[in-house]
Amino acid sequence: MSQVDIKDRLTLPDQVNPTRGLIATGVVGLIASAIGYFLNHDQFFFSYLTSWVFYMSIALAALFFVMLQHVTRSSWSVVVRRIPETLSYNILPWAIFLIPVLFGMHTLYHWTHHSAVAHDPVLQGKTPWLNSTFFVVRQFIYFGIWGFLSYRLHKNSVKMDETGDWGLQTLLRRTSGPGIFIYAITVGFASIDWLMTLDPHWYSTIFAVYFFSMSIQAFFAVMILMVFYLQSKGVLQQTINRSHIYDLGILLFGFSIFYAYIAFCQYLLIYYANLPEETVWFHHRLEHGYQGIALALLIGRFLIPFLVLLPKKMKSIKNVVIPISILILAVHFFELSWLVMPLLKEHGYSINWMDVTTFLGLGGIFFGLFFNKFRKHKIIPENDPLLEQSVNKHL
Amino acid sequence: MESQQSTHSDSLHGILAEFRNPKELVDAARKVEQSGYKKYDAYTPFPIHGLEKAMNLKDSPLGWIVFLHGLIGAGGALLLMIWTMGYDYPMNISGKPYIDIPSFIPVTFELTILLSAFGATFGMLYLNGLPKFHNPLFNSDRFDKVTDDGFFIGIESDDALFEREKVKDLLEEAGASHIEEIHD
Amino acid sequence: MSTTYEYVPKPALVKGDHDFGDITDMICETPLQKTPPLWYVAFGAANILLLVMLALIGYLFWEGTGVWGLNVPAGWGWAIVNFVWWVGIGHAGTLISAILFLFRQDWRTAINRFAEAMTIFAVMCAGVFPAIHVGRIWFIYWVFPIPNQMAMWPNFTSPLLWDVFAVSTYFTVSVLFWYVGLIPDFATLRDKATSKLQKITYGIFSLGWTGSFRDWWNYEKAYMILAGLATPLVLSVHTVVSFDFSVSLIPGWHSTIFPPYFVAGAIYSGFAMVLSLMIIARKIYGLEDIMNVDIMEKMNIVMMATGLLVAFAYLMEGWTAWYSGYIYEQAIFKLYVVGPYDWGFWILMFCNVVTPNFLWSKTVRRNVTLTFIISILVNIGMWFERFMIAVASLSTDFLPSSWDYYSPTWVDIWTYIGTFGLFFTFFLLFLRFFPMIAIAEVKAVMPQADPHYYEENGSNDHGKSGDNELKSNND
Repeated sequence: MSQVDIKDRLTLPDQVNPTRGLIATGVVGLIASAIGYFLNHDQFFFSYLTSWVFYMSIALAALFFVMLQHVTRSSWSVVVRRIPETLSYNILPWAIFLIPVLFGMHTLYHWTHHSAVAHDPVLQGKTPWLNSTFFVVRQFIYFGIWGFLSYRLHKNSVKMDETGDWGLQTLLRRTSGPGIFIYAITVGFASIDWLMTLDPHWYSTIFAVYFFSMSIQAFFAVMILMVFYLQSKGVLQQTINRSHIYDLGILLFGFSIFYAYIAFCQYLLIYYANLPEETVWFHHRLEHGYQGIALALLIGRFLIPFLVLLPKKMKSIKNVVIPISILILAVHFFELSWLVMPLLKEHGYSINWMDVTTFLGLGGIFFGLFFNKFRKHKIIPENDPLLEQSVNKHL
Repeated sequence: MESQQSTHSDSLHGILAEFRNPKELVDAARKVEQSGYKKYDAYTPFPIHGLEKAMNLKDSPLGWIVFLHGLIGAGGALLLMIWTMGYDYPMNISGKPYIDIPSFIPVTFELTILLSAFGATFGMLYLNGLPKFHNPLFNSDRFDKVTDDGFFIGIESDDALFEREKVKDLLEEAGASHIEEIHD
Repeated sequence: MSTTYEYVPKPALVKGDHDFGDITDMICETPLQKTPPLWYVAFGAANILLLVMLALIGYLFWEGTGVWGLNVPAGWGWAIVNFVWWVGIGHAGTLISAILFLFRQDWRTAINRFAEAMTIFAVMCAGVFPAIHVGRIWFIYWVFPIPNQMAMWPNFTSPLLWDVFAVSTYFTVSVLFWYVGLIPDFATLRDKATSKLQKITYGIFSLGWTGSFRDWWNYEKAYMILAGLATPLVLSVHTVVSFDFSVSLIPGWHSTIFPPYFVAGAIYSGFAMVLSLMIIARKIYGLEDIMNVDIMEKMNIVMMATGLLVAFAYLMEGWTAWYSGYIYEQAIFKLYVVGPYDWGFWILMFCNVVTPNFLWSKTVRRNVTLTFIISILVNIGMWFERFMIAVASLSTDFLPSSWDYYSPTWVDIWTYIGTFGLFFTFFLLFLRFFPMIAIAEVKAVMPQADPHYYEENGSNDHGKSGDNELKSNND
């Protein structure tokens, strides 16, 4: 029923069904992690938080990307838009997986210790914000807003497939405009809640932007890997062409620079001013093995992607962008560990088996849910008014 | 200027053909390219997409020129700062190391961009052989339209395959709306 | 759910029924015709203001910075405020040219030339202030690494020196970018010109451009690379300007969000200035088909988005000031809201945070008069933002006994007003002699520019408003 001449089939073929395998991996990983909880529950909570934020950041960046495409009426991205739409659809189930974090708040967040707060005037001043009840209430607010946005954007996009009603594009656009604004505020405070308040004395006004810059870079890496995964299974091989890969590549490149810019600004300003209450945060993260991760961030998230993707041709070559994307995702995980783990293991970083099991467990569930949803609908928005331009785009 | 265009057959620079629209131009350029001519060019008021494929143009080497300039900018800036601040006249500034790399980044960045931009601008002019104020093409009155709404193909007489009548026939066949000889 | 939303197709970029020749004529008319008398009036007024500025700078050099309202502790006053304000305005041009180019926002072609010119002249105005602010102007060459008899070098770890490099690089690269874009259009003027003087002048500036496609091929690559270079450069310039404040320990200045927040604010004020100028110019020069309401609406959306980003940064700063538990940080924010400069704070809040919210309404976004008013308010608001940052933070420092109220002198005020003379002198010269819209680029985004257009339509003059008509041809 699509008016556009598309040579590929618009649904996932039956043999491309990784859902079951992924969910199985996820369950096994989570069971292993649960065993870990009884062995070392401190380690469990810190590992779990790291992995949970890893997938959450990707889903959140996907939501941003979808809204941005609607607001700017981008035509190029229409053929790949169903992927971020479905990724952001995972936000709501991901709220359920936040529950272990809420149970582990006492372990994770120093400010939940009443005895510590009682002897700390700085923390006393922060109690209106840093108290367990308000923390949980805020999570409800965040997930309510994001859940609403992602649900509405996915539902109406899918509805347009069926009804062919182009008016829905207007609805999607009108949702996205205010949506981005509310998104910025909620994601800003959510990232502060999850990660910055781990060290309740420390503060940095750029932290929200910093979290966003990490997430969006990792998101584009996921997009590139997802597109190539689908194509390797024979899906959308004609529809998604080199020019779309190139656009994803250039965004990955651009946001690598953006990440470096934000991370450098935060570092330079704290380093240069040298205020003890600020520099201590970097101090913990630049010794006892953490300096190795810091160096890996510089090299893996900026220098290598920047230098490799600099020539125009490189941005659309499969064998270049896939390793770069894997590298970025690996470093994204280590960056989150670098933010979280110094609280648990101040005197030396080491990777724990629970880092791996929670990462695989939550990852299996995340992508299992993704494919479960993805295969239920058309894999591209087949009636989008801009689809034709997107399909006809060539380098 | 029409008068110069008399019968100086020995000073023939090339043959210029005009086409009605971008599509005809692209088709004609493809034809000329396939006929094996090397010293020809299309002239357009704005860049037309798809013409580079028709003319079989190689990627511009400008990227490498810019990259080299950028390296000189980055390296030069770092060397200058490391030498002046670290060796030639070291001074303790707010207790930071003499060679304070984080604080050197902004100037390094700016000079990298500056030199790269020089490379891009002057490299482009160099590759295009500009500035060049005299060009036989300007002898044609019709050619004034090239910066307005005219689409032209010119085949130069230096080309190994150049034969006046053959070239004219080819261009005519390609759908030229007007063909003229360009003299030096 | 019976929501009835109507589909709104993407509007065509160029309104009316125009072919390539019309575009050329429309834009070339102004530079090639006789100077209109009104232009002389405007130019004369701008020149008078420029002279005022030059005279006051002379007075400043003669007397010293004591003629300004600076005091202890407010050692940075209007000069720095004006510098940051002008340099911020100077961000829109390169942003429009470079970032929107990379994002393939074709609507930029209507305004990019105009905005780039504005950028260059705004940066010139900005550059005046730090230069005259040094006090001993005859030592200004110390900011450059020139070997001298004292064997001393500039301090490369100082943010003020980074400014020198950032602003001068920005100016140079903006001029190069602008000029590269102008080369083909100067060639158009050369070919359209009737008088000998015009032909020769435009001929020299067009460097002998023939429109050869082999040249275009390198040219497009160069343009793309310059856009790629200018994009991080734009971000870096206001980032470095923000470093002037944020690397220090002054409460209200030392905030890690300053770099992206300054950049957002710069784009915000830059778009406001482009809108103000564009609304006047399109009217006077009859370019309403190119600088049309759709373009204005898009610019309004960018302006609103950056305005909301700035509001987000205020929120983060205010919240973090409280959250930090750092008493000086908390105190300075209290003093912003209820303190000696609270009037400035509320002007700033109204102009920067309240005003852009009117743009949520499509009717307002498409209303020329309201847009003009909003753009002016935003420019005022952004000036007060810098005023609050620079002056309010300094004048109430750590020690209440040293607090002092800063007020500008007549020299401060008239030097600032005089910079408008500098700006408009150059801007009027630009409007008079330069193609104020990028001719080649506008043509390149018209549907007729695509060879595929002719496969469907056959003839030259059919379906000019269509944007969905380009059928694929798989090569």
